[in-house]
Amino acid sequence: MNIKRGFQQGLVILAVFFYLDLIGLPTFVGESALVFFAAIVGVFALSFVRREHRKEPKSFVQVLVYSLTIGLVSGLGFALVTFIFARLQGQGIRVNEVFAEIKPESTAILTGMSVADIRSGASVLQGLIKMVLYFAGGGLVGGLSVLLFSGRGGVLQSETGAKMKTWTTVGLPFLFYAIFVLNRQVALPFFSTEGARGNFGLTIIFLFIGSALFSLRAMKPGRQKLIVVLLVVLLVILLPQLANTLQNAVLGIVMIFIVMGIGLNIVVGYAGLLDLGYVAFFAVGAYAYGLLSSPSSYFLVNVPWFGGVSFWVGLPIAFLIGAFTGVLLGTPVLKLRGDYLAIVTLGFGEIIRLLVLNLRDYTGGPGGVLKIPSPELFGYNLGNPQGILYLAMALGVLVTIVTLRLHDSRLGRAWVALREDEDVAEAMGINLVSIKLLAFGSGAAFAALGGALYAARQVNIFPDNFALDVSINVLSLIIIGGIGSIEGVVLGAIALIGLPEILRSVSEFRIIAFGALLVMMMIIQPEGFLPSQRRARELHAGEANNPVVDTEA
Amino acid sequence: MAAILRAENVTKRFGGLVAVSDFTFEVKKESISSIIGPNGAGKTTFFNCITGFYEPEEGVIRFNGQEIQGMRTDEITHKGIARTYQNIRLFANMTALENILVGMHPRLKSIWFESILGTKRFREEERMALDKATELLKFVGLQGLGDQAARNLPYGAQRRLEIGRALASEPQLLLLDEPTAGMNTQETAELTDFIRLLRDELGITILLIEHDMRVVMGTCEMITVLDYGSKIAEGVAEEIQKNPEVIEAYLGRGAASGLELNAQ
Repeated sequence: MNIKRGFQQGLVILAVFFYLDLIGLPTFVGESALVFFAAIVGVFALSFVRREHRKEPKSFVQVLVYSLTIGLVSGLGFALVTFIFARLQGQGIRVNEVFAEIKPESTAILTGMSVADIRSGASVLQGLIKMVLYFAGGGLVGGLSVLLFSGRGGVLQSETGAKMKTWTTVGLPFLFYAIFVLNRQVALPFFSTEGARGNFGLTIIFLFIGSALFSLRAMKPGRQKLIVVLLVVLLVILLPQLANTLQNAVLGIVMIFIVMGIGLNIVVGYAGLLDLGYVAFFAVGAYAYGLLSSPSSYFLVNVPWFGGVSFWVGLPIAFLIGAFTGVLLGTPVLKLRGDYLAIVTLGFGEIIRLLVLNLRDYTGGPGGVLKIPSPELFGYNLGNPQGILYLAMALGVLVTIVTLRLHDSRLGRAWVALREDEDVAEAMGINLVSIKLLAFGSGAAFAALGGALYAARQVNIFPDNFALDVSINVLSLIIIGGIGSIEGVVLGAIALIGLPEILRSVSEFRIIAFGALLVMMMIIQPEGFLPSQRRARELHAGEANNPVVDTEA
Repeated sequence: MAAILRAENVTKRFGGLVAVSDFTFEVKKESISSIIGPNGAGKTTFFNCITGFYEPEEGVIRFNGQEIQGMRTDEITHKGIARTYQNIRLFANMTALENILVGMHPRLKSIWFESILGTKRFREEERMALDKATELLKFVGLQGLGDQAARNLPYGAQRRLEIGRALASEPQLLLLDEPTAGMNTQETAELTDFIRLLRDELGITILLIEHDMRVVMGTCEMITVLDYGSKIAEGVAEEIQKNPEVIEAYLGRGAASGLELNAQ
């Protein structure tokens, strides 16, 4: 049982590493890549073993076998991947024509050899053995620490332990970073060049988000809030400063998709209304701001006194128009459920795109809307990747707060009840019409916010920007991240939207990658990486009391 | 005592099938009444007509003198009717406490922008709701299980939670659809006491569908028997037990005539 679970979870980690390898993380992190990867194995093993251990406490030997399996499976698998790439590169085949980031340099870093050796096809066995050992070690440390910290009678069950846990959450990213720096044996080469600045920034970001997301879930709700606020504030301020221009641009689009993901999460994750035409509202938002602000706007050009609105006026207007469109398109589908709803909404997405394409006199048709002005704040032009990222993060924080508050309210409970059982929800006195329209409306309004910002970012927008694949992307990132959870949306967006941006040279493959990833998720982890958790709220239920009822039932 | 619920000549058809036929029926305020009958007699269909899941083709249903047939389900709930289901229909992935909080929906007033702004009224109402839900959880005997997902609760607890959720809307009339189905003798006895407690302490009128005759005969002041959608008998326990038509409906003609023979 332990071995089987360990095997599956090892494969999950392997998939994550394969992805990290494809986006060129080894070259990016440098010589310490192996330590970095081993640390990630550790974090994953910690989370996986802790979950199993909670369900059913395990003995020392069981945990040992379990975490060793996780480490070995991911290690051997990744060694195999690396071996294949090394052989191909040794024979002079240019793998990077397909996978842009798989260069001999990356293989050299992973195996601890020189680029020349890899090119000449020298044996990489020694490096691979080292890799497997590192991975197994990471798995063991992560897995066994569960016994030390989280188990019954473990350190973290005590009062001091709980405090410790709080601080390790904050400290963990820094700890990882310290190991990372020490391993390089050089302390401060990072701020010198543009590229190095990016490395430093993204490393911190990866570690921050990763360790924060995983360890947050173990904490008490009261503490969680403070730490989340702290982390978010820190991240919002630092992130755009630490990343380089390219990374800012990629993160900007990721953030826009996070805003949309959070919106769709209300419709699909909370209320359970499967909407496949979400791109419609993204387009509405983008065109609302674009048409109202662009000097080349097709129906405003003849209005002499109207010089176009600024971003700060256009954004709320886009928001309102988005909400209105959501309610408008939601009304005819109120009676539809499940598959039927999905198909009709799929149609809506296309209808909006076709309208935009064909209403030439109003939208510009295939010519698009051009020269959309950039947002400005106190005289600063925010029309650069860094400024857009700041704006997108501000929107993200705003949308998150609104969503969390709605979720913990009467309306939020009604949404979840609707998802669980529509008939019974109605029998609870819930007015289905109003809560469905509120779900469609707020989801659409958030998408419109994302759309307006997207228009400002792109400067020129065209109907092709709003095709079906946007809907699919947003839905996939929710499914992969974990339906109904905001952390899941963040994780999903980083994984899915970052991917094609980085693998731009082979973007045709990304649909295949999506497909494979979705199928794999459905088999291994159908609830997503970070599924929503029902919050513990009964006042009398103490932390130490473990479930009275068997949760396996 | 006055009638809280009155159904007059209610007929519900599904295509050619007449599920409930010309049914006239009354529930007295603060009584425990019961509808019994063989499987497929139209009992649950009648419940569905009362709660607005179905609209009867003919007839009038009055609740506190007001016609409610054809109203939306949620409007009827707001008027003060709550129900449970034959096969338990909890919000399986929500916690027990959240199930009860959803049940309180019609008694809460806050609207969405209040919760976004986090107004004082909203926060106070939420705190009040949480306290009340916890209390209610205790009342139905599920103290300490509030944070469990409903689907993880044992069967008996799920039945109780469903009743708790129905009570959360502070109903005047509670419809229970086979509340003791699948319970053992001990659990059945506990639940029967609990149903009596609901009426005696909270003054809630109770109408139940039940197959367990010990429950029906032991608690119900008025029993109505349905067969093929029509009322075949009505009265107190003793009358129903002796009624030959009822025995025939349950056991067949032979059994009924055998009983008459025995009586002779």
